Amino acid sequence: MTDRLATGPLRVQRALSPFALWSVLAAAAAFLFAWRVGMQWAATLPGDGTDLGDVILFYSTLPRAAVAVLAGAVLGLSGLLLQHVLRNPLAEPSTLGISAGAQLAMTVASLNAPLLMERSQGLVAFAGGTAAVLLVLALTWRRGLEPVSVVLAGMMVALTASSVSAALILANGDYLFSLFIWGGGSLVQQDWGPALALAVRLAAGAIAALMLLRPLTILGLDDASARGLGVARHTSRFLVVALAVWMATTVAAEVGVIGFIGLAAPALATLSGARTLRQKMIAAPLLGAILLWLTDGLVQLAAGSGGERIPTGAGTALLGGPLLLWLLPRLRMFEWPRLGPDGTSPRKASRPWLLILLLLALTLIAAALALVVGHGPAGWSFASGDLLRDLAAWRAPRIAVAAAAGAMLAAAGVVIQRVTGNPLASPEVLGVGTGAGAGLTAVLTISATAGLGWQLAGSALGSLAALIAMLAIAARAKFGTDRLLLAGVAMSALCSAVITATIAMGNAQSYILLRWLSGSTGEATGLDAWVALACLLPLTLPVFLAARWLDILPLGTDGARSLGVPVAAGRLMLIVAAALLTALAAMVVGPLSFVGLIAPHLARLAGFSRARVHLAAAMFLGALLMIVSDWLSRMAAFPYELPAGLFASLLGGPYLVHLLARGTPRQG
Amino acid sequence: MRVAAIDWGMLETLLALGIVPAAASELIQFRRIAVEPAVPRPVTDLGLRGSTNYELLRIIAPDLIVISNFYEYQRPMLERIAPVFARPVYEAGVAPYALAEAATLALGERLGRQAEARRYLDDTSGEIARLRASLPRSSARPVFIISLGDSRHFRAFGRDAMFGDVLSRLGIENAWTDETSYSAAAPVGLEALARVPEASILIVSPLPADVGRSLPTNALWNALPAVRGNRVAVLDPINHFGCLPSARRFARLAAAALAGHAS
Repeated sequence: MTDRLATGPLRVQRALSPFALWSVLAAAAAFLFAWRVGMQWAATLPGDGTDLGDVILFYSTLPRAAVAVLAGAVLGLSGLLLQHVLRNPLAEPSTLGISAGAQLAMTVASLNAPLLMERSQGLVAFAGGTAAVLLVLALTWRRGLEPVSVVLAGMMVALTASSVSAALILANGDYLFSLFIWGGGSLVQQDWGPALALAVRLAAGAIAALMLLRPLTILGLDDASARGLGVARHTSRFLVVALAVWMATTVAAEVGVIGFIGLAAPALATLSGARTLRQKMIAAPLLGAILLWLTDGLVQLAAGSGGERIPTGAGTALLGGPLLLWLLPRLRMFEWPRLGPDGTSPRKASRPWLLILLLLALTLIAAALALVVGHGPAGWSFASGDLLRDLAAWRAPRIAVAAAAGAMLAAAGVVIQRVTGNPLASPEVLGVGTGAGAGLTAVLTISATAGLGWQLAGSALGSLAALIAMLAIAARAKFGTDRLLLAGVAMSALCSAVITATIAMGNAQSYILLRWLSGSTGEATGLDAWVALACLLPLTLPVFLAARWLDILPLGTDGARSLGVPVAAGRLMLIVAAALLTALAAMVVGPLSFVGLIAPHLARLAGFSRARVHLAAAMFLGALLMIVSDWLSRMAAFPYELPAGLFASLLGGPYLVHLLARGTPRQG
Repeated sequence: MRVAAIDWGMLETLLALGIVPAAASELIQFRRIAVEPAVPRPVTDLGLRGSTNYELLRIIAPDLIVISNFYEYQRPMLERIAPVFARPVYEAGVAPYALAEAATLALGERLGRQAEARRYLDDTSGEIARLRASLPRSSARPVFIISLGDSRHFRAFGRDAMFGDVLSRLGIENAWTDETSYSAAAPVGLEALARVPEASILIVSPLPADVGRSLPTNALWNALPAVRGNRVAVLDPINHFGCLPSARRFARLAAAALAGHAS
């Protein structure tokens, strides 16, 4: 592990006093609120009997402002605790699977136990969030709750849970409209109940956090130092995480998913000059409150009488994305643990190319079986002769598209994980996949009935715009990997916000987007298949040729430079290749990035450590994973076709998590 | 002629014209939230509306596939199986009833059922006129037609929704005058219902799970004049994006509910 003390306080640039800046923002939020109250005072309804204007002011406007302030503070504190104790500046309720777990629990409860949902929605969400975190902690227990493994497992749990939720929502139509709203994060209030619940959580959380101040400070050090100072690491970490989850799930249950505050507030607190943990614990909730209050004021300002155009939860990301992009050059990250001998590579394959041939054979067999074995109106059938020729026209393109997309995402994943030296990185963090979604959203917003050609064009332009923006930011930081990752995360948050806002409208566009998001291969045509396969070779060839760079770059900038690798140019070229691969895959099968995360890990865990064989093995594994997923998506609920992405994460996720849990206990 | 229906509005229309399609989409959900017309057992389910099972459709090999403008993106795939028939019913800002009538006539013509289509149009407008006449004078209040998203949010059906269009054909003023898109606007907080204090409220089922418990304790909801005056009714489920059969079902259910309010 790297020495945490060395990375110490973050650098602050004092262009203007942070205190003045935040005061101005708080004043702006307060002004928006006062203006709204004033408007309502002026427009007090004539009323029949009671004064409805007063009722709205007291039961809607005031509690909404209170909820905005309280939820912002709760999220800021929760994010700070999580980031501090897991020593990961990207940790927040959504990256740990808490939100996704809560959503899955609520989806399942709505379908199977409506009475339970009716009784205690909050409890269901809390149970789901807790279950997700418990799963994550249990899976990483043997590794001493090592921060990187915790977040990696958290992402897997989150991806799997959200795919299952998406599939359930899709299969149940309008009935789950409430979950759209919940996913968008709306602060609309008609009561003081949620405000009170949040106030209690904030108070309890603040007291508990203050009591845990000393163990917390020590947990911010690395494991060896913490143990040396006699802190029971597991117990303390567990307690702090539980506290943060409790606070975060309350927000999730009361108002829905409010992303980004938990991520941004602690970072901004540090940038604004909060150095000690005590200062941060005061600043982060304050800044979270200001951010959410201001966002909600702006969301209400933008709302027409026909309803809010942007849910507040999506609004925070819309505002927060650019904010984070602005922050990037000013932010210094924690050191990320590197892929290396301390990683999870248990053994080295002795004859890697033989294994790769085996993988190739497996992929071909899977493709052949997927082509022949299927479900007909009368049950299982092996297609042959005329029937096979007939069905192959439908099955072959989707098998080919699935395989090509899987291989592309896997290749992109290998490149990104190696270039950034970060085992958590996946093509998703480049933002190009969600950029495609934002482009698709734009097209659908202009015309809900846009044809496939327009949809593809929109996706392509979206990816391209996201990629250019990303590269422009990364270029300013000389393609430093941390900046690149953060820029990608910000870009993803921004694009996801656009998508979420549209999905929250719950109209025809929502279903198209939801289907795209969950990764559907159903509309693949022969042309798609040929384009995807034809692009695979020219895009992956340069990556194979640059395999030496991929071997060296994980060693870090200095090491790579001393070995004669042109670091900035090399990274640029590799990232562009990865982004193109991701964009193409996202256009045809949606942002199935878990394949890009899983396949490289599976290949590495199977013993492929050199870049070239790692790349080849990951690509075959990615293709295999997607072929099997596509087949399962057609067969599992026949005649109902489910998203292939769901099965990709269901297949790969648990296996990866199992391998992680089984991995050698960490030293240190 | 064997027909397959991807769009629910067209499925309703086919059944209303006395044609039992060979296959149709998402029948489990249709029977639950569109309810009528009843879909006979032998109709094959084609899976989700958004991801039609093309393989299965290919094996069924219909002679005609009916969709709507929402499924235009599926057209290239569907046309590989059979000719595709589509007429627009829902367009932003356009009242859909007349479009649904035109679509019904066009479908009748395509399938050689002009007489049945014409008769169904007359029956439907006749039933709406009869219901309009039967409504008591005292039900002249404006009406909100909403579906609840959760215990805090609703969507309103405006004039470019089938329910809004039929409401005006029943001679009742729609309390929701703002723009909507297609049939349902973005989720709106319940406090917007206070804008028209004298209005009644019709809630189209299904209700979300948490509503049963949280709505009765919602302070603002309880303060609404419609709630205090007992002018709120919950209608059985109706297809939100339906054609004439849905329009009829809505007219019948709404008229019954409003007659109940007046008594």
